[in-house]
Amino acid sequence: MTHEAATTSQPFIMDTTFWTATIIFLLAYALIISEKVHKTVVAIFAAALMLVLKILEQREAFHTEAFGIDWNVIFLLLSMMIIINLMKPTGFFEYIAIKSAKLGKGEPMRIMTIFAIVTAILSALLDNVTTVLLLAPVTLLIADALEVDPIPFLIAEALASNIGGTATLIGDPPNIMIASKAKFDFMSFIYNLTPAIIVIMAAFLFVLKIMFGKKLHVRPELKQRILEMDEKEAIKDPLMLKKSLFVLSIVIIGFVLHGTFNYEPATVALFGAGLLLLLSGTHEPHHVLAEIEWPTIFFFMGLFIIIGGVVKVGLIKWMSLEVLAITHGNMFATSMLIMWFSAFASAFVDNIPYVATMNPLIIDMAKQIWPHLQGIQLLHNPELMPVWWSLALGACLGGNGTAIGASANVIVVGLAERAGKKISFIRFMAYGMPVMIITVFISTIYVWLRYYVLKI
Amino acid sequence: MKAKDIMEQVKDYLSPDDTIKNAVNKMRVLKRDDGIVGVKGMIVLDNEGNLVGMVSVKDILKAIIPFYMTMTELGEFTWEGMLAEMTKKVADKKVAEIMMKDVITVSEDAPLMECADLIVKHNLQRVPVLNKEKKVVGIIYVRDLYNAIVRVLLDDKEVQNL
Repeated sequence: MTHEAATTSQPFIMDTTFWTATIIFLLAYALIISEKVHKTVVAIFAAALMLVLKILEQREAFHTEAFGIDWNVIFLLLSMMIIINLMKPTGFFEYIAIKSAKLGKGEPMRIMTIFAIVTAILSALLDNVTTVLLLAPVTLLIADALEVDPIPFLIAEALASNIGGTATLIGDPPNIMIASKAKFDFMSFIYNLTPAIIVIMAAFLFVLKIMFGKKLHVRPELKQRILEMDEKEAIKDPLMLKKSLFVLSIVIIGFVLHGTFNYEPATVALFGAGLLLLLSGTHEPHHVLAEIEWPTIFFFMGLFIIIGGVVKVGLIKWMSLEVLAITHGNMFATSMLIMWFSAFASAFVDNIPYVATMNPLIIDMAKQIWPHLQGIQLLHNPELMPVWWSLALGACLGGNGTAIGASANVIVVGLAERAGKKISFIRFMAYGMPVMIITVFISTIYVWLRYYVLKI
Repeated sequence: MKAKDIMEQVKDYLSPDDTIKNAVNKMRVLKRDDGIVGVKGMIVLDNEGNLVGMVSVKDILKAIIPFYMTMTELGEFTWEGMLAEMTKKVADKKVAEIMMKDVITVSEDAPLMECADLIVKHNLQRVPVLNKEKKVVGIIYVRDLYNAIVRVLLDDKEVQNL
């Protein structure tokens, strides 16, 4: 499957603009990785440089799909954050966590398994950081009640949230970005990624049992503490809870149907956020709005502009040619290369800037291979589809590799440290890296079997 | 009147290396100026006698309550004996880890209004008084300021009665 297009002459010029944009891009990414300056500050400043140095016109950065801010991603994130901020005070998440612990009958391995499943499901529907932040306090309380080490529970939750988040369009930022760029709807993710994640989750639960099963023991009388907890007491605002669940149901149904009715996911989420704000009857929306993770939102906006700059000058196209030179246009090789490279890259660097770079790279690569195709025909070319899913699986599951691979991991390590239990980089990796390799390996089999052998 | 005119003498202090257990004991046996035994907060001085922090009963409670309980509402799910368990866990924690480090102080020549303003603005119980060399020379408690106010009001009354 060699394509001649890959060897055609380079259609861009390596002039001063090219090098300026490339240097801004490289310096910004190096600074983000070094963590010497906050990533949001780097992104905003580098984005501003792209505009000030006229690499991008402001109009291109603010108003074009090709080089500008992806408002689909921004509004999807904003809207989901608003919905979650309104839901948090109802006590819904504490209720779920306490209920799960009781279902586990105070048996630590059972509780860990149930928590992992609950974390994965919630992470598939909400963002991972929120899920982990909401479940962790209850997890720590349960661990204290049972007098067991909380670390295995926290690590299991971080890993489960990264796995669960991979299953849906809204589960993890890489998926949101891929969906927007490649024009996939919610159900495409359900059809293509959820089956893989169900298999991976089953394998993960088995691995958890091997890793922690023998270490967790509890004195029988302590289990009583869990059984005596009344999860109903967690509900602080039953009326608002009903409203939240009503709106959340509408949003989920909206996601399922958005492709059919030609709505973008951001439209569905924005409707949910607007409706829940209205139903909440709040006269002080500034609290809810102030709690939006603005640094994350601005990080995305800055990144989109930086990427826009290097796409415009042709750096991404040059990179895509390099990838093609390695794979010779063989799409199976490309899928596998992208999946494994993405996994190891995401284990060590933020997967958001990584995927922001890979999206246009894959599109440029596709343009080289199929120069006669455009739009959806290009983006959804059957030969290109497994590449997108490989990117999603690699970038999301790769986050499990190290303590810094995903935001959920960073949160969990931070919380453990506050609880007086340090999780060293190596200790996290001792659990995370095997899980990453096993899950990416299962993904490899899945992509190969589904798209290259069975072709379904 | 100035801060130094109403302040009480420093009779004992904590060291950053004291454990919570030590600190609780020192606070329990310390005698106040008015004769009552036991205080609810003490200053922390380092080896050179510099003020490095302050510990109050609230700081000790904060150290005992697990941090995760401050992240959300979990009070309903605690169990009998949990406070005692958590207290034992932190018994050997150092004062340096739990003390409030940004201590609000006044200079010995500060007017009383400055002291009153600080106490109300920052919801304080006690304010260390520093001399020009930045060493603690005394402590002003809320009750000291209150006594100063009482003296003003009663003096006025006496004037009226004449």
